[in-house]
Amino acid sequence: MVDIIVCVKRVPDTSEAEVIIKDDKRAIKDADLTFDINEWDNYAIEEAILKKEALGGKVTVIGVGGEEVNEVLRRCLAKGADEAIRLTDPAFDGSDGYAIAKILSAAIKDLQYDFVFTGAQAGDDSYGVTGQMLAEILGIPHATMVTKVDINNGTARIRRELEGGLEEVDEINKPAVFCIQTGLNEPRYVSIMGIRKVSKKEIPVKAAADIGISADEVGEVGSMVKLEEFSIPPAGELAEMIEGTPDEAAGKLAAILKEKGAF
Amino acid sequence: MAEIFVLAEHRQGVIRDVTFEMLGEGKKVAEALGADLTAVLLGSGVQDFAEKLKDWANKVIFVDDPKLENFNAEAYQKVLSSLISERKPVLTMIGNTSFGLDLAPALAVELKMPIATDCIGIEVDGGKVKVIRNIYSGKINARMSFRDDATQYMVTVRASAFPAPESAPGLGGAVESVASPLTEEIDYKKFIAYEEAAVGEVDITAADILVSVGRGIGDVENIPLAEELAKVLGGVVACSRPVVDKKWLPKPRQVGTSGKTVKPKLYLALGISGAFQHLAGMQASDLIVAVNKDPKAPIFSVANYGIVGDIMKVMPVLKDKITELKG
Amino acid sequence: METEIAENDFIQRYDLYGCIQCGKCTGGCPVSLKSPLNIRRLVNEATLLDPSEAAQGKADLIGDCTTCETGTLRCPNGVKPSEVVIGIRGVLIEQGEMPQTVQEALESAFTKGNPFGRAKNKRAEWAADLDVKNIADGDKADMLYYVCCEASYDPRAQDVAKSIVNVLKTAGVDFGILGNSEVCCGSEMRRLGEEGLFEELAENNMAQFNDLGIKHIVTTSPHCFNALKNEYADANFEVQHYTQLVSNLIDSDRLKFTKSVDKRVTYHDPCFLGKQNKVFDEPRNILRSIPGIEFVEFDRSHEKSLCCEGGGGRMWVDSESDANGRQSEVRVRDAAEMGVDIIAVACPFCMLTLEDAVKAEELEEKIQILDISELVNQAL
Ligand SMILES: Cc1cc2nc3c(=O)[nH]c(=O)nc-3n(C[C@H](O)[C@H](O)[C@H](O)COP(=O)(O)OP(=O)(O)OC[C@H]3O[C@@H](n4cnc5c(N)ncnc54)[C@H](O)[C@@H]3O)c2cc1C
Repeated sequence: MVDIIVCVKRVPDTSEAEVIIKDDKRAIKDADLTFDINEWDNYAIEEAILKKEALGGKVTVIGVGGEEVNEVLRRCLAKGADEAIRLTDPAFDGSDGYAIAKILSAAIKDLQYDFVFTGAQAGDDSYGVTGQMLAEILGIPHATMVTKVDINNGTARIRRELEGGLEEVDEINKPAVFCIQTGLNEPRYVSIMGIRKVSKKEIPVKAAADIGISADEVGEVGSMVKLEEFSIPPAGELAEMIEGTPDEAAGKLAAILKEKGAF
Repeated sequence: MAEIFVLAEHRQGVIRDVTFEMLGEGKKVAEALGADLTAVLLGSGVQDFAEKLKDWANKVIFVDDPKLENFNAEAYQKVLSSLISERKPVLTMIGNTSFGLDLAPALAVELKMPIATDCIGIEVDGGKVKVIRNIYSGKINARMSFRDDATQYMVTVRASAFPAPESAPGLGGAVESVASPLTEEIDYKKFIAYEEAAVGEVDITAADILVSVGRGIGDVENIPLAEELAKVLGGVVACSRPVVDKKWLPKPRQVGTSGKTVKPKLYLALGISGAFQHLAGMQASDLIVAVNKDPKAPIFSVANYGIVGDIMKVMPVLKDKITELKG
Repeated sequence: METEIAENDFIQRYDLYGCIQCGKCTGGCPVSLKSPLNIRRLVNEATLLDPSEAAQGKADLIGDCTTCETGTLRCPNGVKPSEVVIGIRGVLIEQGEMPQTVQEALESAFTKGNPFGRAKNKRAEWAADLDVKNIADGDKADMLYYVCCEASYDPRAQDVAKSIVNVLKTAGVDFGILGNSEVCCGSEMRRLGEEGLFEELAENNMAQFNDLGIKHIVTTSPHCFNALKNEYADANFEVQHYTQLVSNLIDSDRLKFTKSVDKRVTYHDPCFLGKQNKVFDEPRNILRSIPGIEFVEFDRSHEKSLCCEGGGGRMWVDSESDANGRQSEVRVRDAAEMGVDIIAVACPFCMLTLEDAVKAEELEEKIQILDISELVNQAL
């Protein structure tokens, strides 16, 4: 049996989309952006459900944010999570990774769990700190960039991804936080029918007061870092663009490669 | 005098590049802050490293302890929190690496010190430290400052964001050994072993020409298109990480921070957006050509030549044209 | 809306007792020759077994069906074999048995409103320089031009959207698009077996059409056309395929040709326009009206038109049967024998599969695949 809490975030997909900065330079325009569960979290929830399916136990998902977060929480429920909790309070707005970790820890500290899984980072602000900070606040160990989790009684044997194709094997006692790296499983599909089946399941909403955290510990005031402004990265020395139809461009490129002695 | 800490990162007997990149940048920041630059080194039997680092910093302090032989964030955290509490550096710089990210965020919380991760720029503005972070798939830079009441800061620095100086600036710092505060082994988190990702049939690091495909290749069925192109060029196929995640190509083909670092004569990036983890593994290539549907894909900022277009259309034609030109 | 599959409601849902196992469906099935899929047997199994048993081991096989509805057309008793295929795919989807490409297409349609994983805020990029009204942005127009995901994102299919825009403008039609707010019609999602996702997309689309007071829609793709016309519940708008509209424009002299296209042209009937909606004459009327075109028919035309295998979710599923040749290749070889210069198409899927086949058969020098709207444009 293993009880796992998974922290999930809803993020805009900006991999291909045009990203436009708002006039106040402190946010991006999200009108035409689409949102989804953070890619890393998607692997985290899958791993938790796989562990539950193998060992028994319970999976609880937690998300911070407004009602729109339900979308992501519902999908996690449909995938096989047992319960979802949404942490919502206007005071949470503007939280950095540290403030989010405080919010999560306030909600998690009273729950029953063996492990907490988070994504190794989020695709929007890329802080990559939430899980580690959460662990520190909860007073338990953690590991980041986790690419394999084997749970045996109270101990987990994990792999961490290092740079250059090297991995590290560690052993960690429960309770612990694992920040999950992509690629360690194959996240499942949930059909809309599956999501509809859980649409009636209630997702409790908790505000700052409900989890015993004061407004000055969260949001911008409770954060470590403050955003000054966004800008578009300087283009650097941009590539020379080869114009034309695919055929023409490929032809020109072939000529350039020949001239450069590539073949 | 005020002090800046740079935590030296080393693994399997090698000081990692990010250390020198941080020391290079740290020197500039130290000057702007009127502070000394101190390299901090933790490990077992690392005296030699300390000697090596002394020309890079005004001071090298090292903690030598068998319990620090392999990196363990828990042990490192204990040692560093004691060092930082005692010496109160204005700024502590740690690599934004697998090692640094396992360590720094929890350390910062313990010390109640504000931290900014994954920084690509560090500025000193009126005595205050500000950072630039690169977010939203590399499309936005965010300038961030720290909590107003902060007097000490921690940053993790993106690998390759700053160039390492060609040679040590010859600071000739004093080397100081500090006793380890660790009293016992950490028993709840243990390092077991390093494991190399399996070596595949091809060694992409040895190839002169790499035809590298990203998520834009769309499907495993399309990999042969890239293989054919590689064949006429006399190169081999490499890829970005999603391609490995999807099991379209084996792990040893992956270029980037969690894959291989390559430096071929020609790197053809097809349907790769150019996330920094990918760029880090290939930007030193002699000639980079990128083909991507998205004219704003960050890959174009490191490429020498670019084509905005569909790789599915470009790959076959390019293959034919090259075959033609080869005669 | 509950669409839960009960124990064995396949029989009722698809009226399977009507099946007399005559085998006419299999006899006409275009993929039965090259793939092990036997549609008669499949319907039989769906009658005798419960849905999950009927689906067992079918994951690959079922991928072969293009839902062209030849079987439906041929059935003497009104059974719809391709709906049974969709039902079984639905069971497989619920069990999570699907190729990764399908999973990604479904997820993308759900989160991004298109099955190609493309950014929503780039959907209308193709129209950036065209000065087209955007109804979703508040512009008023008599007619909505519903572009289709394929024509919005695929560079080749974008040419079709651009030529349709030009044709409509030339004829003085008052139309607009939805820009980045257009969302997938869900037709292909339904055929991949994701009925729930189809319903979700349909509901979102209906809500948007209603909000904007849209009464008249014209589509690029026969697939969108079919879905909007026959599968959207409570639709209170009129929908036309663009060939219907353009044929009218020609007949009412609103569109006049000034140039001649001196080519030998045949027409490939899209299943979703021809077989499934009996729109046979309008595309032909357009082609015959274009000065200079020498129009010839495929031997297999109208109801008997050979499916190109691009629809019914096949865009995301590779069929093992493709090793035995593709129908699109048969089609272009036939056309080559007929000595035509151009195969005219009226569907983005047909366009892409046939263009591929032209390359595979190395007929690029001989045969061109052009959308009817592109031919119209050439003659304006
Ligand atoms: C700790 C860590 C380590 C990592 N290590 C690595 C690593 O070693 N290597 C690595 O590569 N990544 C690594 N990543 C992942 C990295 O952040 C990116 O997610 C990844 O590099 C993106 O790969 P991509 O460019 O192939 O895909 P995407 O970012 O999805 O980009 C796909 C691109 O293809 C283009 N495209 C799509 N279709 C077509 C088409 N038909 N024709 C032309 N263009 C098309 C799109 O415009 C887009 O730009 C790591 C991440 C983390 C957190």
